[in-house]
Amino acid sequence: MKDFLPQMDRITGQYENKRAALLPVLHLVQEKEGLISPESEKEIAEYLGIPVVQVHEVISFYHLFRQKPQGKCHFSVCQTTSCALLGGEEIIEHIQKRLGIKPGETTPDGKFSLGVVECLGACEIAPMMQWNKEYVGFLNKKKIDELIEKNSL
Amino acid sequence: MPKLTIDGKEIEVPAGTTIIQAAEKLGIDIPRYCYHPALPVAGNCRICMVEIEKQPKLQIACYTPVANGMAVHTNSPKTLEARQSVLEFLLVNHPVDCPVCDQSGECKLQDYYMEHGQYNSRLADVKVKKEKKAFSIGPTVMLDQERCILCTRCVRFADHITKTYEFGVFDRGDHSQLDVYKQLDNNYSGNVVDICPVGALTDKDFRFKCRVWYLDKTKSVCPGCSTGCNMTVEWDKLRPHTHKKARVMRLKPRLNPDVNDYWMCDVGRYDYHFVDENRILSPQHKEELVSWTQAIETMAKIIQPLKDSKSMDKIGVLASAKLTNEDLFVIRKLFKESLNVSQVDFRVPEPPGHSDHFLLKADRNPNTAGAQVILPQESADAQQIIQKAKQGDLDLLYVFGHDLVKLFGKDTVEQISKKVKLFVFQSSTVNDTCGYAHLILPSAVYAEKDGTFTNCQHRVQRIWPAFLPLGESKGDWEILSLLAGKCGIQLNYKKSEEIFQELAQKIGAFSEMSYEKIADQGMVLKK
Amino acid sequence: MQKIVSKHFNQTDSHRLDDYLKDKGYEGARKALTQMTSPQVIEAIKKSNLRGLGGAGFATGMKWNFIPKDNPKPKYLVVNADEGEPGTFKDKYILEQDPHALLEGIIVTCYAIGSHKAYVYIRGEYLKSIERLRGAIEEAYKQNFLGKGIMGTSFDLDIVVHQGAGAYICGEETALLESLEGKKGFPRLKPPFPAVKGLFGCPTVINNVETLACVPPIIVNGAEWFAKLGCEKNGGNRIFCVSGHVNKPGIYELPAGTTLREIIYEHAGGIPQGRQLKAVIPGGISAAVLSANEIDVKMDFDSLKAIGSMAGSGGIIVMDETTCMVWAAMVAARFFAHESCGQCSPCREGSGWVYRNVKRIYDGEGRPVDLQNLPGIVNNIGGNTICAFGDAVTMSVGSYVQKFRSEFEYHIQEKKCDLTLNYAKTNH
Repeated sequence: MKDFLPQMDRITGQYENKRAALLPVLHLVQEKEGLISPESEKEIAEYLGIPVVQVHEVISFYHLFRQKPQGKCHFSVCQTTSCALLGGEEIIEHIQKRLGIKPGETTPDGKFSLGVVECLGACEIAPMMQWNKEYVGFLNKKKIDELIEKNSL
Repeated sequence: MPKLTIDGKEIEVPAGTTIIQAAEKLGIDIPRYCYHPALPVAGNCRICMVEIEKQPKLQIACYTPVANGMAVHTNSPKTLEARQSVLEFLLVNHPVDCPVCDQSGECKLQDYYMEHGQYNSRLADVKVKKEKKAFSIGPTVMLDQERCILCTRCVRFADHITKTYEFGVFDRGDHSQLDVYKQLDNNYSGNVVDICPVGALTDKDFRFKCRVWYLDKTKSVCPGCSTGCNMTVEWDKLRPHTHKKARVMRLKPRLNPDVNDYWMCDVGRYDYHFVDENRILSPQHKEELVSWTQAIETMAKIIQPLKDSKSMDKIGVLASAKLTNEDLFVIRKLFKESLNVSQVDFRVPEPPGHSDHFLLKADRNPNTAGAQVILPQESADAQQIIQKAKQGDLDLLYVFGHDLVKLFGKDTVEQISKKVKLFVFQSSTVNDTCGYAHLILPSAVYAEKDGTFTNCQHRVQRIWPAFLPLGESKGDWEILSLLAGKCGIQLNYKKSEEIFQELAQKIGAFSEMSYEKIADQGMVLKK
Repeated sequence: MQKIVSKHFNQTDSHRLDDYLKDKGYEGARKALTQMTSPQVIEAIKKSNLRGLGGAGFATGMKWNFIPKDNPKPKYLVVNADEGEPGTFKDKYILEQDPHALLEGIIVTCYAIGSHKAYVYIRGEYLKSIERLRGAIEEAYKQNFLGKGIMGTSFDLDIVVHQGAGAYICGEETALLESLEGKKGFPRLKPPFPAVKGLFGCPTVINNVETLACVPPIIVNGAEWFAKLGCEKNGGNRIFCVSGHVNKPGIYELPAGTTLREIIYEHAGGIPQGRQLKAVIPGGISAAVLSANEIDVKMDFDSLKAIGSMAGSGGIIVMDETTCMVWAAMVAARFFAHESCGQCSPCREGSGWVYRNVKRIYDGEGRPVDLQNLPGIVNNIGGNTICAFGDAVTMSVGSYVQKFRSEFEYHIQEKKCDLTLNYAKTNH
């Protein structure tokens, strides 16, 4: 964490108090380290001058923060009304079958992981998902299969 | 000041008072879980919702300030319906653990349910399972996440009172879990069990020990240090055979805004076993059990000749700041005033205990301030008295409870045992000194006494006797009364209150005090 | 029909400053800062009948007026770009394709309320929006549209972009403030309201992205112009988001008083394969569902409130005859159960219980008494909670049971769905 201390300082400097920088700092650490480890939790708490329990509360509350590694490629599939009306639930089922994992799990080779989420704000391209950082819409089984094949190598 | 009516009763309260506080002043107890007078308001349980005339929605009483002309209804049909709905929601996932839960009988979920519940359950679904059930979170407390109703009292306690930040609520929705991030091992951990309205946080010390409906409660004051936290001794009157004859089951803090508020520390809370364990039960003379008559005679035989020859410098008395004001006054009356013994002191060289920034004081005696006023230092102090005893200059050494072996070392006590004609040891509890004393007199503990202690803020506080002294033990002043009588001094006290009345007359600091005025919140000494 | 907020959408580089400046870019800000006083700006917004377009529909001018003028504490503007209401995706377009419109709106608003610092809270998944907005902010600082002495005036303004982390409840005003302050998104007890005690305990205005994007055109073209575009008490256009069973899902900027029928059939291309409409959610998932015979309603805040639903975020979700309404209720209940913050008892336990209840009925394990109990259970949540999330559960899930009760009865009796066709299944 010490490597990106200057970045953290710059972030903290934008806010009226250090605690307010917690979310952006967590995003930064997760970006750099892939997840937020218990050690990082303590370091962040010390850096911001807040009790560790409150850092842990925040991490457990917000679904974008993770303490376990994700797959190299992550499916974050929407299951709310608009996507579900156009087959979102079936897409989720298909991914589970193809990869042999349940929502929240990663394939044993670490290549793919699946998360099921609520509305991502892209109902006009339903059924859709967030594929790593991108929004990918108008999904069907074929598109899913292609993505999996392309990234299995 | 705003004037309002609650359930038709009018009351005027300072601006800023919340409805729940105003109701309390009227003797109306609005149901509450998350609200606690000593903690910041959370407003999350929603059970204190009340109906306010001219307002379309129900409002939570713990957060809503009173307004002039407000009309509040705490039992209207709308209010009762809302209350029932909150109870129903809380019971959706709450495990029906009552048969195995220590909170049973003092559980707010049970109590409010019996008063207001929806007796026909509408639940046909599985309850949410949580990770930790019957899980130790520290040396004193057990956690059951499923029983937790997430009122966050414990979180606010650890954040604002002890500032130790052990607790947090993790995840969200109905999967929220109360947990600790680090072990709950601060000196006030026991208080979270008091404030938990349900059986989520339970005391390991009390776990499965006794059903609360068997408990009798007696008001008292903790004798653990000079703070004198107000507390209640809770003891099992009917079934001591189930606890190897132990009577005291637990101690609970009692509210006193001037001393300890709602809290007590773990050191005091868990130190009650000495009331029932390791007690001296009979008078003993040189390893032989004797009767009280014989014991008193033994002492009188030593004292009489000294009286006749006016050699009272051959008597040394080591009083104790653990004795009540009444005990100390009788020591003063008997030894100092009637027998003219000047070598009476309580200031033993005790190593101070550790203290914290809150309630626990380094002085581990409950009545140092009282002893200082009642037995002001004259000639010899305790160290000098021990020296004299060691040198053989004393015929009678009368020690009240101190473990001299710990304070002065085995060799000194051995010497004393050899050199002093009669080494009297009056104590409730067995300790190493017993092996060296000539005459052992069993005395009562605080929980068996009627009397007063004076705390470090010079507040005189009452203790009440929960039960009779164990075995043949007697109260300290009662023993001295017997001795006085045998020495021709009639003290004639029938109860502690009489002693206190005389004490209040004779000692300026206590003037105008009485048991009635002291009541259960205490009274400060005069300067 | 005149487009206001979506004028620059679907043009390459519309997000760049030089493009923005080509069409009266920052003219509104310049006019406000150099020719108007703060009270005059507030007055203009009041007269325009601009209503909050995030969901609550609160009169924007009135909200700005709540900021105490004599309070010595710093004032804040917080932009709610959390856009989490299912069915809603309009703010994403503004952030990605016309971020300078938002920035200009922020400048005028901050000037009006006396704020020198604005935070934009963008939902954590909107990575492209965050990138585009940060880019626009950098451009604006370089050209002196932000920072010290904006456009040569004495007005200073700084903006911080704050990334959310995946919690719908952070779209609630006070939960957003809690999240901005580095805590869990637990809505606050009210009063005090944010205008008095908001971010860091200071007077704060929280406005939706689209609401703020409407501000510069109001300043440039006048309050009356904006007010006339809409209907009484609901001025201007708004961007409707249409999704679900329609031929042309997407955003449609239309006057606030447009009917739902017109939006679905004339603009969004009607229902695929000529199927029949069954139900529509008019304003994001929190709004009461409407049945097919209610779609002649005007889509302004007051008209929808009058029929027991709400205009909300403008998120229109269309469901055709192949939709099982018990399933739709279950999907809605599932959303609420996942997004409940868990702070207060009725919502925390109730949202989960309602979901399990409805799911049981959908799965064919419901009993007649369940349908008797369900409305009562659902109604016990709304009105008893700390925030409007509880009210949303009641209004949303309750409306399915109310308007499509026969489908629930069928599920309980026959232990299955009475629909043989399912669009989703035939699509694959």
